Amino acid sequence: MTVLLEVKQLSVKVANKALLSSINFQLEQGDYLCILGPNGAGKSTLLKALMGIIQASEGVISLNQQPLTELSQKELARQVSYVPQAHNHPLNFSVIDFIKMARYAYHSAFSDWSSDDQQALEHAINITDTEDFLYRQITTLSGGEAQRVMIAAALCQQTPLLLLDEPTSFLDPHHQVEVHQLIQNLNQQHNISIIEVSHDLNHAAQHSKHILALKQGTKLWHGPSPELLETTRLQAIYEQQFVFTTHPQTGAVVALPSELQTGNVQ
Amino acid sequence: MKPINILIIIALVTLLILSISPYLGLNVADADIQHHILTQLRLPRVLFAFVAGAGLALCGMVFQAMFHNPLATPFTLGVASGASLGAAIYVYLGFSFTLLGLDGGAFAAFIGALIAISFVYSISRYQNGFSPETLLLTGVAISFFFSSLILFTQYLSNLTDSFQILRWLMGSLTTVGYRDILQLLPFVSICVAAILWLTRELNLLMAGDDIALSRGVPVQHIRYSLFFVTSLCVGAIVALCGPIGFIGMMVPHICRLLIGSDHRWLAPASLLFGGSFLIVCDTISRLIIAPAEIPVGVITTLLGGPFFLWLLIKSRSKGA
Repeated sequence: MTVLLEVKQLSVKVANKALLSSINFQLEQGDYLCILGPNGAGKSTLLKALMGIIQASEGVISLNQQPLTELSQKELARQVSYVPQAHNHPLNFSVIDFIKMARYAYHSAFSDWSSDDQQALEHAINITDTEDFLYRQITTLSGGEAQRVMIAAALCQQTPLLLLDEPTSFLDPHHQVEVHQLIQNLNQQHNISIIEVSHDLNHAAQHSKHILALKQGTKLWHGPSPELLETTRLQAIYEQQFVFTTHPQTGAVVALPSELQTGNVQ
Repeated sequence: MKPINILIIIALVTLLILSISPYLGLNVADADIQHHILTQLRLPRVLFAFVAGAGLALCGMVFQAMFHNPLATPFTLGVASGASLGAAIYVYLGFSFTLLGLDGGAFAAFIGALIAISFVYSISRYQNGFSPETLLLTGVAISFFFSSLILFTQYLSNLTDSFQILRWLMGSLTTVGYRDILQLLPFVSICVAAILWLTRELNLLMAGDDIALSRGVPVQHIRYSLFFVTSLCVGAIVALCGPIGFIGMMVPHICRLLIGSDHRWLAPASLLFGGSFLIVCDTISRLIIAPAEIPVGVITTLLGGPFFLWLLIKSRSKGA
């Protein structure tokens, strides 16, 4: 397996506040990594650092052995794409125009729409099943539809690595399952490496391949997903007791927050 | 209707306005005088109004896209006040220099504009993102601050300079000639070329900085370039004809309703519409109490004030 992404001693400081300190991990090609951790642990900050949205204060992020600092923003956008947390800007664009705009990194100022562009566009629309509302305004879409459009646009960038920041947080259960299936499909059928920030630890344990747990800006644990659901591990991450049961249909282990008050676990 | 057709219609209307407006209010019998008025007074004035209006509208469009806010323009954010202060100080100090044949006043106004935009931008960044309220209030505060400095400059000036500053602050195209067009054209052209070059970046900036960066737009770099060229453009216009307000807010907004938000269409539409809009306003200012004239800035502000309130109420009721 080749290493796609390598993060070495990554620290991010904003206004003298350490958001991330000394993070190390590697991501192999084809991996599906879930980043878990309590609110304020630095999950979104890590994704933004990987996308070049926030600059690293210390340490090196390398893509295919090449440091991010040596890539232009356009070059980076041909390797990594990003679906931000639920998006609030009033986007006065039709769905298709918005997805087309994602081909920016492959164009210069006045270049024409090429057959490669068209292929990427059709592919992105097919996978995400967005053809029914291509000509609607993004502002008129439901949460689930809008999220699929955001993913379609990221796919249109044709990158080997896709970053998703809580892609299902504001969706109802039906659309959560739908988006989760889409992400798994991208990883398994289309060989796109995924890094997803999530609060859904059962989903992460069952569907991702690896898990990176952050807490207060530091790495707490990085390991294979099935090993996540252990009492002490979850307690350490969330300072919350969990109980375990099995899914009646699949038999998979499921963690639930304990209802009993146990006080702070240190 | 397709954007291209809408753009063609706007272009035709622009041509019509360009060709009719010089003749309006032309009631002298003598053919020679008529010819002189047309070619030496009216024509340069109409052309100047077109260039200035186009520049103001495009700069407004850029600000609206960069700050994700229809109320954000060089005027509401205090950039025009900064430019005015720069030009007022230039007049007060009695400077007179030219650079590459271009009048120094425009450069003084440019520096004033850059200082103002740096202020607004760093404050809104310090506030961690642009909340529309913070942004506009910062702009208002900066406008007040610069306006009081302009008043101070005026107070220190002698009567002639003081009147010159006051008259010019109202925004007027009364005295422009061909020379002024040549003074203005380089600045506006640089700005227009840069903006037309960056229409795809503007589209992505509208979607928010994070999305723009993730698509490959070097956001900071583009933002600074746009600040630079818009300051250049607003500076030159303000130096030559005073702060003509609200065109940069009204025109791009109306064009967005007509042609949509895609800057590849919106930019040329705003350019044409802005140019013809200022010609129309100037013609009104010339005719409404003829033979006397009202400064055109008074007309645009009279139209713009209610428009601003309408936008504010509309965006409030949307909860945006």
